[in-house]
Amino acid sequence: MTAFVTLAGVYSTTDFQAVTRRLDQGSMTSRALDQFLASVEKRAFKIAQLGLRNDDDALDAVQDAMMKLVQSYASRPADEWRPLFYRILANRVLDMQRRRTVRGRIMAWLPLRDAEDDDEYDPIAQAPCGGPDPAKRLELDEAIGVLETAVAELPRRQQQAFLLRNFEGLDVNETATAMGCSEGSVKTHYFRALESLRARLGEVF
Amino acid sequence: MSDPTPFEKRTQEVLEESAKRLDGRTRSRLTQARHAALARLEQPQRFGWRAYLPASAAAGAAVLAVVIYTGRPAVNGAPGPGAAEDMELIADVDAPDFADEGEDLEFYEWAAGEQES
Repeated sequence: MTAFVTLAGVYSTTDFQAVTRRLDQGSMTSRALDQFLASVEKRAFKIAQLGLRNDDDALDAVQDAMMKLVQSYASRPADEWRPLFYRILANRVLDMQRRRTVRGRIMAWLPLRDAEDDDEYDPIAQAPCGGPDPAKRLELDEAIGVLETAVAELPRRQQQAFLLRNFEGLDVNETATAMGCSEGSVKTHYFRALESLRARLGEVF
Repeated sequence: MSDPTPFEKRTQEVLEESAKRLDGRTRSRLTQARHAALARLEQPQRFGWRAYLPASAAAGAAVLAVVIYTGRPAVNGAPGPGAAEDMELIADVDAPDFADEGEDLEFYEWAAGEQES
């Protein structure tokens, strides 16, 4: 067996190979996580935004969910990341909704704050991406506005089931894991969400 | 999902379009969030036993307090009326971190079950 010396001591080839393998695995995990998070981040943001109705809170929720996934579940098989990530995100959104309710009760007792210190309008940052022609774009704008308002007003569990199944494309089992409930409950919540949205948007869609 | 209806397809398309239209600031902040999360992977792992140090120290202190307390001669043959409260205060150890994360215990049970299987 070959031995070699480093500042830290004498290692065998086997040790070196094991260390190299671990480094390779770490690098692969990092790349895989990067790809996974990049693939879900926009939809995750929209889901959090519809639940919280606030962009900054939604960004915080997504960042927290990313941190938690990387810290606690990076070593889990990659096919488990999606339901785990959305489970963490759903918990974070719920936590923020509860905090906001409590904060709202407290703020109701305090004097009103000026809205001037909110973010200033930045025309460059707010500039839309390139896309379809103006007429089509206008039609889509209306559809997005109407749909998002309707989804945001769904009961919380129906909203989760609809967004995870319809938007994120999770199957019933993955959605049940992400929502922490049975598959039967997922089907019920999803069905009710669809019924509610159809009743409200049927003519537009 | 099996055979989505035209309504389901339409809502999916509209939501996808909405996600594509995120402004530059939001997309940039999402990228920053992803990089910040991945940077955690580069940080050296905490040793498992170190995570238990605070709880172990608190438990050790509680045991020591019990030993000292019970070894002390009792006044009038019995501990004072506030003894039970004092012991509660001494033995009180902070709840583990995960209880503050807003994640329920069912989730951890599920995760543990998945790891075992």
